[in-house]
Amino acid sequence: MADSLSPECTPLKQQYDSCFNLWFEGYLEPAILPSAPDPQRTQRKAEEFQEKCGKVYAEYQKCIQSAVKRKGIESLLQQAREEHPLREPLPPTTPPSKESK
Amino acid sequence: MKFFAQSFSYDDPWSIVTLAFFLRYPNPYAAHVISCDVVSRSVSPEGSLLTTRLILKRGAMPRWFPKGIISRAETWVVEESEVDPVGRTVKCKTRNLDHVKVMQVEESVVFRSAPEGKTLQLTEARILSGFGWGLTKRIETHGLNRFKANVQRSREGVSLIVQLLRQSRLQPMALGVPEDAPVHSLPASIAIAADSGSDSAMPRAQNSWSRLKAWVRPPRNN
Repeated sequence: MADSLSPECTPLKQQYDSCFNLWFEGYLEPAILPSAPDPQRTQRKAEEFQEKCGKVYAEYQKCIQSAVKRKGIESLLQQAREEHPLREPLPPTTPPSKESK
Repeated sequence: MKFFAQSFSYDDPWSIVTLAFFLRYPNPYAAHVISCDVVSRSVSPEGSLLTTRLILKRGAMPRWFPKGIISRAETWVVEESEVDPVGRTVKCKTRNLDHVKVMQVEESVVFRSAPEGKTLQLTEARILSGFGWGLTKRIETHGLNRFKANVQRSREGVSLIVQLLRQSRLQPMALGVPEDAPVHSLPASIAIAADSGSDSAMPRAQNSWSRLKAWVRPPRNN
């Protein structure tokens, strides 16, 4: 796993990557192929991801977003995503679980 | 402006090529990748996985390029991808965020499931310089040549990860299977091998595992 752009985020990134990779393999290739298309499957996988990796994802995003601000690349990134979206603009990244401060 | 397009077929199924594509950093063919972060990830209402990654790459300026214009030969690259597990397609667009006046490279890669368990990769790129000073064309030609060479290297990197994934799937699970993991679970093994540092857990594949481990998590503080 590659390093994070900011060294203090690297441990969180690696923890998140491990969690994601495990989930991702199942998302790509279910252990038992369904005999009929199952439209609910990916939504179930999304919930499963949230349950398993949601917390570490939120922590990692918090770390990375403050690092992006610090490095002054926030506006570049924002602009790029607005100009050249792969599809319609992605929803803003809100941490999946709202933390109370 | 220069255009580039190429297609390539992998002899492996879409899911393994896609997994390798997402796991491709770091690999020995991508030593120029300094960092790679997910800045946004969600599952769309249609069930596709949408990811934005921010990648820092190290570059090198050609010798003929005027000195003192680019102080650091590093570039921020944004990569937006969409994985559709039902339609078995990955779409991925990449472009550089800085030094865009000197050269803007936009790359589009599509992976599609093909008959007989193969995977088709389509790569397209657009290279544009707005530099002027009579160097525009030279910069674009240089960019195109570098891009061609890098496409080759990037494919070798993905193929290498595919090969390691394929090898690992032939190994019996020596570590036990996480409760609801797919039958052959490499990422879990990567995570465990990398976290615990226990090579002994994968004795038969030790060589490739320790190599992979070194790329997955390079040794630190030495």
